[in-house]
Amino acid sequence: MAGRGGSLKREPQVELRKLDDDYCEFVLKNTDASMANALRRVILVEVPTIAVELVEFEANTTVLNDEFIAHRLGLVPLVSSRVHEMKSIYEAADDDDFLDVQLSLDVKCTSDDTISVTSKDLQLDPAYPDIHPVGYHDPCDRGILLVKMRRGQELKLRAVARKGTAKDHAKWMPVATCVFQYMPEITINHALMDTLTDEQKEEWCDADPRKTFKLNKLTHRVEVTNPELYMYDGEVIAKAEEMGKPGLVTIKQKQDTFIFRVEGTGVLRLEDIVLTACEVLARKIRNLQAALEEEATLFDQGGAAPMQM
Amino acid sequence: MAAADHEGLINQKYALLPAFLQAKGLIRQHVSSFNHFISSDLLKIIRAKGNERVTCDADPNFYLRYTNIYVGRPSLEEDYIQTELTPNQCRLRDQTYSAPISVDVEYTRGKEVVIRKGKNNSGAIVIGRMPIMLRSDRCVLTGKSEEELARVGECPLDPGGYFIVRGTEKVILIQEQLSKNRIIIDTDSHGGIVASVTSSTHERKSKTNIVTKHGRLLLKHNAFTEDVNIMIVMRAMGVESDEEVLQLVGTEGAFANLLIPTLQHCKEEGVYTRQQALDYLASKVKSTSRPGGPRGGPGGAFQRRTRSKVDEAREILANVVLCHVPVVHFDYQQKITYIAVMIRRMLYAMLDPSFIDDRDYYGNKRLELAGGLLALLFEDLFKRLNADLKRQADSSLSKANRATQFDIAKCIRTDTITFGLEHAISSGNWTIKRFRMERKGVTQVLSRLSFISAVGMMTRITSQFEKTRKVSGPRALQPSQWGMLCPADTPEGESCGLVKNLALMTHVTTDEEEGPIARLAHIMGVEPATLVNQSELREQGCALVFLNGNILGVHRRPKYFVRSFREMRRRGKLGEFVSVYLQHDTVQIASDGGRVCRPLIICDRGVPRVTEEHLQLLREGKWTFNTFLRNGLLEYLDVNEENNSLVALYESNCAPRTTHLEIEPFTIMGVVAGLIPFPHHNQSPRNTYQCAMGKQAMGNVAFNQLNRMDTLLYLLCYPQRPLLTTKTIELVGFDRLGAGQNATVAVMSYSGYDIEDAIVMNRASLDRGFGRCIVLRKYGTSLKKYANRTQDRIVLPAAAAAPNPAQRPAKFRLLDRDGIAAAGEVLTQGEVLVNKQMPTNTRDPVTNPAAMPDAFYRNAPVSWKGYSGGEKCVVDKVLLTSNDDCSCVVKVLVRHTRRPELGDKFSSRHGQKGVVGSIWSQSDMPFTERGLVPDLIMNPHGFPSRMTVGKMIELLGSKAAVCTGRFHYGTAFGEPAGLADTVDKISKELVESGFSYSGKDFLHSGITGEALEAYIFMGPVYYQKLKHMVLDKMHARARGPRVVLTRQPTEGRSRDGGLRLGEMERDCLIGYGASMLLLERLMISSDQFEVQVCTHCGLMGYYDAKQRRAVCPSTKSSEHMATLKVPYAAKLLFQELSSMNIVPKLVLAEA
Repeated sequence: MAGRGGSLKREPQVELRKLDDDYCEFVLKNTDASMANALRRVILVEVPTIAVELVEFEANTTVLNDEFIAHRLGLVPLVSSRVHEMKSIYEAADDDDFLDVQLSLDVKCTSDDTISVTSKDLQLDPAYPDIHPVGYHDPCDRGILLVKMRRGQELKLRAVARKGTAKDHAKWMPVATCVFQYMPEITINHALMDTLTDEQKEEWCDADPRKTFKLNKLTHRVEVTNPELYMYDGEVIAKAEEMGKPGLVTIKQKQDTFIFRVEGTGVLRLEDIVLTACEVLARKIRNLQAALEEEATLFDQGGAAPMQM
Repeated sequence: MAAADHEGLINQKYALLPAFLQAKGLIRQHVSSFNHFISSDLLKIIRAKGNERVTCDADPNFYLRYTNIYVGRPSLEEDYIQTELTPNQCRLRDQTYSAPISVDVEYTRGKEVVIRKGKNNSGAIVIGRMPIMLRSDRCVLTGKSEEELARVGECPLDPGGYFIVRGTEKVILIQEQLSKNRIIIDTDSHGGIVASVTSSTHERKSKTNIVTKHGRLLLKHNAFTEDVNIMIVMRAMGVESDEEVLQLVGTEGAFANLLIPTLQHCKEEGVYTRQQALDYLASKVKSTSRPGGPRGGPGGAFQRRTRSKVDEAREILANVVLCHVPVVHFDYQQKITYIAVMIRRMLYAMLDPSFIDDRDYYGNKRLELAGGLLALLFEDLFKRLNADLKRQADSSLSKANRATQFDIAKCIRTDTITFGLEHAISSGNWTIKRFRMERKGVTQVLSRLSFISAVGMMTRITSQFEKTRKVSGPRALQPSQWGMLCPADTPEGESCGLVKNLALMTHVTTDEEEGPIARLAHIMGVEPATLVNQSELREQGCALVFLNGNILGVHRRPKYFVRSFREMRRRGKLGEFVSVYLQHDTVQIASDGGRVCRPLIICDRGVPRVTEEHLQLLREGKWTFNTFLRNGLLEYLDVNEENNSLVALYESNCAPRTTHLEIEPFTIMGVVAGLIPFPHHNQSPRNTYQCAMGKQAMGNVAFNQLNRMDTLLYLLCYPQRPLLTTKTIELVGFDRLGAGQNATVAVMSYSGYDIEDAIVMNRASLDRGFGRCIVLRKYGTSLKKYANRTQDRIVLPAAAAAPNPAQRPAKFRLLDRDGIAAAGEVLTQGEVLVNKQMPTNTRDPVTNPAAMPDAFYRNAPVSWKGYSGGEKCVVDKVLLTSNDDCSCVVKVLVRHTRRPELGDKFSSRHGQKGVVGSIWSQSDMPFTERGLVPDLIMNPHGFPSRMTVGKMIELLGSKAAVCTGRFHYGTAFGEPAGLADTVDKISKELVESGFSYSGKDFLHSGITGEALEAYIFMGPVYYQKLKHMVLDKMHARARGPRVVLTRQPTEGRSRDGGLRLGEMERDCLIGYGASMLLLERLMISSDQFEVQVCTHCGLMGYYDAKQRRAVCPSTKSSEHMATLKVPYAAKLLFQELSSMNIVPKLVLAEA
């Protein structure tokens, strides 16, 4: 792509379209698929969050066994705004470093009805009251069901939440999903389109399940309502061929524009996730740069430096 | 639902099916057979001629008579307290779920007659205990609501129909056999026509054949030394003239000609009169033994021969040949007619081969169920009990002066019957002495791998056919099995087609009283054959009427008779399972047990009797299935009667001649095949494969699964209900006890780790619980008591109680103070779960058995067998209880939670199995721009050759189900009736939800971020995790244990065995010429052994360690000794040969 006229240097641009508590959409321009994909992968897998990692059971007379409950606890999303202060177990840490968050659960069913033990029954670490399950303080939120209990059953445990990334386990994934899409570039061959009757045009427009195209009743022209609706399903192209008019429309993927969609779980703010991801990515490149420089100096000094694998 | 746009009855008559299953249950055949056994067979057995009275040779006045028999409710008497038994208690405590059998009796004690009768529906004397079938009339679970069932620890969806014997659940499999007492015309190996009848009565079973040889008809029977001319037999029965014979057989044109050789041979033998015939037969009677004779067994030497040979022959003709045809006071008339019918059918078959019967025709088959088998066994045991009583009476009454009066009621031992029944059911060996029946493998342990495997087992049918025979006939799917047996559910391999499964609506009949049926038939104009002139038997338009294979009489208007007889049945004047049909020129009425039948809607001139109003009443709950039966709207047809009717599949197919209408076409499939969505779109073997795999799928076993203590239990952590269901799934309850998960599948080739049916899995999905399962394994032991009043004990070993934890042996780490592992502990290799100790001396009397020193005991611990690496097992729970023998039982359940790993087996519901080929991070998986990421990736090459179109439709349908929030249906053949969604509709729904109609999505590579060039077929498919897991199978060894005898490495994973380099591998190495590798593999790494051989005498010597030299065994010198390396097995062979006086000599040469 480089060398297609103009300067070689491109400045990636971000255009923020929407930012909610749990949904974020932005357009990443002037960059490559590799860049966009790297960002996606880092968001998915390398943004650290906090999740329950270790559970110590004191009493468990519920129907679910210890591993089962531990697994369920692990998947409870914890608000991880303070994750940057923490250190993961793989990092060198001192005694005064912030490693563990101690949560606990102590529920006993004394009523005749079955009760639900939810993430809201978790008792927070008094030292870090701001690390809590998502929706913990929200009165509308019913919490995440952990186990149901009947009379006489008891569950008492201590859970240790730690920092981690989704490379280890999906419970540390900060987002529900993070994907991007190439910006479609749609050009309608109006000359050819005009050979069709209005009914045919309508029929052609209906072929697209996403309704990207619309027949303007006034101008009798087919218009693109919103190119981003298009899903590259090829239906309209197939339809055009079926109607005997191949080349009615050409659809290309713009190779340098990406629409990102990030859906959050409430663990982190979405802008934080993206920024952290960028930071992680930048750190990786810095590390690579440092390593390369080191290699280069070695190469300069000793001629053929031994290859370090 | 699609149902709305179909008109008429067609979419509503499905409602009959849930009503049917509600009324009858899923495994009605087992339960009704057992109920019939308890309620009527038992009474018949004790009232039978040979069983009713016990008499005594010593005292002619003595007798014991059984007047009534009762089977109580399952209960248990412990410490003189009667408590009700519940099935789950029996499972946990290794008890037998059984009820006492009691009898009312009348007997003599000295001079007086004692009459003893019980009260409250129970007899006076208990004679044994009867294992009770779950959900039968006598079972405590019958009639209980879901809540009540939960209270006794039972799953409401459990079908019942099995027994619990000593804690294990046992199923008496349905046995298929050729029907009894019916004439079957067949060809022998030379192409000759044979008529064969297997007669079976209470007392006797015998097989009678009429064969053709050189154009003659001969009777072939075990009682005669050779085949005898059938005319001579008939003469002996009293038919002296040839004309009479011909009249009996029929005077139609060619018959006389065909009979000429037989008649001529009869003349050649000089048999003209009855007496001559009897003399002739007497010379042919097997003298040494009379098989099946009333005394049983070979005629003992001590038995006085009082009867002449002629009498013997006469008796054989009366009671042995065709024993099911009654001969009263040597009046052979019925039997003569019967033989004539046999001959007639043979002659027909000779003229027209289409009259030859098909052995595999399902109307000629009878199914033997639990009730029938138990009745056989019980009668045998009851006879044994009576024989015992007689022996006791004989011995004590023959003594002249007795201290106390002999009371036979006190001699009745309950063990004979209790243990007899218990042992037969638990071992599966059915040994009936009087019929010399010895069957193995009649019962099987109920498979609790998944809910479906348990239900599937209850519908299984095994046939007595030998598996090794290379005939395809019995294995093939017979057209007459339509609607009765599942066309898909049969195993692959050696028992393919021999093991079958019942279809959804099949019922198996039980025996019905013949008397009332015969009376009704006579009222309706059936003239007894004996009252009619022989020539009239064969009159034009007349037909012989048979009842259960016996001649009942003649009717002059058979079609009218059949029609009105059916009308009587529809009116409820006859049992609903009695069938009437025309076969050739006879009318057959059948009321015997073991016929398969199914309900159908009756049509009058092609108009179904069931109308919308009736179904409305059914929906409102005012009518049940039985109301339909009673009102003559539905009826049961067995295979034979079905052959006489014209059944329409759909209402639109109804024509004026149609007699019946199917209820629902999908009922031709069984329970297990019913799980498959769109099976009618699949290649048929795929459905068969799925039937085998559905039984291996993990899921929920039952609602009480966590309260069970099975040897091995596989549970899925998060089982789901399939998005694409079928009606069968709902009827069976699979939607409540699922065995699989809806996985988002992308059909694509990605990376190559998916070739050859492998599956690429998403690691994040596994993290979130996909395919996660729990394996529970039981370790159990019981504490035995010994004759010298010592007993096993469980203690904490002294070493393990050491004050310093460091000194305690590691293997006792888990033990609590009671010597049993504590629940919740994590296990490591070789750790002791129960520290049991057994007394070293269990015979000699001991002074104080309660307090023996520790030295008196030796350790017999139950320890955990498993690898500690990888597996992190936990003690789940511990059960302490006592069993029927009042000995303490300890069961320890060990739990292991597993997540899927490389090599674990998964399968969809379309016979498409595959192993996990690779597990990838979510970031590497392809994604759509909606954020959809597949859980697993399947290779598209799985489709073209397998032709599992059903799976593709399942994917489409599930995708639509997810989009619309409505479970979609894929019932077999369901599209016309609206029980299955059509691809058209599904595609429309997909388009409405913004997906492509074809189910394909536009995906991006997760690795590069580039868009994939092809559209990917992606959507949810219900995936099953199968029980085959790498963890249970992986095995490798470098060094390890060896077999003592041969010193070769042990075999098998359980013994940490070596991997065998077999013959074929050896052949490869020989062919390649890798001799040193061969030597290394076969000897050095296996059982190399150094022997000393004398080069002179060639014998193997030994190495004298004291003198440090090798010694020749014959000369005791060490001069010519050579050292040689041989396999230990070779050395062993030489020694074994020499022990048999063969001297193997080794001739050595310098290499």
